[in-house]
Amino acid sequence: MLDLIIRNGTIVDGTGMPGYIGDIGINDGRIVSTGSIADSAAEEIDATGLTVAPGFIDPHTHFDAQLLWDGKAKPAIEHGITTIVPGNCSLSLAPLKAEHRMKLVGMFNQIEEMPIKAFEEGVEWNWETFDEFITRIKKGLTINVAPLVGHSVLRLWVMGDASMERTANEEEIKAMQALLTECLEAGAIGLSTSFVDMDETLQPVPSRYADQRELHALCEVLSEHNKILQIVHEFYDADLTVARIDQLAEISLKYKITTTFSPLFVNATDDDSVSKVMARVDEQFQRGARVWPQVQTRPIDISFCFEVPSLLFIRLPSWYQVMRFGTHDDIVAAFRNEEQRKQMVAEAETMSPLWDMLVLRQVDSEANQALVGKTLAEIAAMRNTTAIETMIDLSLEEDLQAHFLAANMGHTDDAVVGDLLANPRVHLGASDGGAHILSFSTYGDTGYLFSQFVRNCKALTIEQAVKKITLDTANIWGMKDRGVLKEGYAADVTIFNAQQIDRGDEYYTDDVPGDGHRYVRDAIGVDTVVIGGAVAYQDGEYTDSARGSIVSGS
Amino acid sequence: MSDLTPRRKTIYPLADDTWETIAARELSDLDTADACGMLQSWNLHVFMRPGAPEGSPRAGNPILPSDLIFIEPPAAPQ
Repeated sequence: MLDLIIRNGTIVDGTGMPGYIGDIGINDGRIVSTGSIADSAAEEIDATGLTVAPGFIDPHTHFDAQLLWDGKAKPAIEHGITTIVPGNCSLSLAPLKAEHRMKLVGMFNQIEEMPIKAFEEGVEWNWETFDEFITRIKKGLTINVAPLVGHSVLRLWVMGDASMERTANEEEIKAMQALLTECLEAGAIGLSTSFVDMDETLQPVPSRYADQRELHALCEVLSEHNKILQIVHEFYDADLTVARIDQLAEISLKYKITTTFSPLFVNATDDDSVSKVMARVDEQFQRGARVWPQVQTRPIDISFCFEVPSLLFIRLPSWYQVMRFGTHDDIVAAFRNEEQRKQMVAEAETMSPLWDMLVLRQVDSEANQALVGKTLAEIAAMRNTTAIETMIDLSLEEDLQAHFLAANMGHTDDAVVGDLLANPRVHLGASDGGAHILSFSTYGDTGYLFSQFVRNCKALTIEQAVKKITLDTANIWGMKDRGVLKEGYAADVTIFNAQQIDRGDEYYTDDVPGDGHRYVRDAIGVDTVVIGGAVAYQDGEYTDSARGSIVSGS
Repeated sequence: MSDLTPRRKTIYPLADDTWETIAARELSDLDTADACGMLQSWNLHVFMRPGAPEGSPRAGNPILPSDLIFIEPPAAPQ
């Protein structure tokens, strides 16, 4: 008698081989048999007409904080994801001394757009070391977590405020090496660093003050433990990206480690950029380096209201300063001040025609409901003014609760994106799950992979798409017992309707601690998700299962 | 092991590098002011960044130890 048998599904096993009809037998959290199973089980799932795949793995998330109040990392699981990698971009929630907590919250707020109130009301700060953090999140964990440790927090722990001012001395580097060793031994899957991010005061994050000695010293430790290095690089510039690829390649070759950089976008204004970057990736792979670019499936959409700072305005100092550092009343006052408003409008004109294309997506007042769904150009024409003035007027009329959508800002050329996703040297990731929650939904990229790039564009077969987000990801990250439906592997399984799987519409919801909101998408066509051998999600409902584990890789 | 296609040259800055020290080291055959101007125009990602705040050991200097600094112009469009 087994624990669970999934019967008669089309098994797409993660290897890329053609799917076949069969059963999957599960016992004690492991797959114990595949094919036609005569045995019986305590629980059986009829998967007739459905696809049975390994659980999807999301390698680029920022669920760190959410895991403290939601061990399911909702809605990741309903999109078929069974393993997440938090701690990207140099930021993890551990190791973290008590005196640095608010500094880190500020960085998460600035970089990942996580509301400070969510930390204040959703987080009980009862850890300092990485080991203590792991112990903390393991309680009630449903999803598997493969946590990165952030370079910025290593520096903060060892150097304090000096981490944001200078390079480290030899003694400090040694201390960081010892701390990284401790984190890896406690379960970290690797190290993340950032070459671009800024903190809440708009100064560079600590990792950016590290020189080559420090980075190499930390990579030496990764090498000893055979762990991965993730970076966020200057993704807006192809020449800089190529130079970072070379830097990662030298590290990969010298320390025999895997490296990955994210994100790589398809830029509509620079068609050659992606081919230039991928040509370098190919060259470096041919030399034996492992440098994996992470590419997301979804186009870039950004939503915002003026109540919270949006990265959309980061290149407009007179707007961003007041959004970032001002109160609600300061922002209203800025919009009402004739002189200041004039200056802001003039500055915003440098980003025209963006404003014309923005869509009014949500308002509170009855008076403006009829305008929802219209572009600012349309509303401006009705009001005989400009799109920028309309955006400000609507914001004042709605007490800053007018929400706007900048849709399809980039990564929209499906032919190019499809080719990229199908490229064997491209790593599917960069969802940013759990971050930017007031700007866009970071959930549903897996469904979009199947609906847009398997069914619509036919850029990948279903077997290739499944492999990309299961075995390929497991291999890149050194998750040795995940990513394939095979005897002995972890029983993480996603069962879905191949003709229906998709992401739902983006909507605004209020399930964030501290009366917070976020944009999310529901899943379409995902029937059942099994994690650690137990059903975690079925028929649109989450179960009480808590079989998630820490995946620390090779 | 295959050779790499030549790419735009970069350097990693040294701990206390400024535009002037990089110019003196990497573009030593040019007048320092001219060389600094060139470096800045090739590295807008650094030049446009605000310098470190007053009171910081790097006050006013926008160059970070983790930066990549181009020491030649972009290739002409093909």
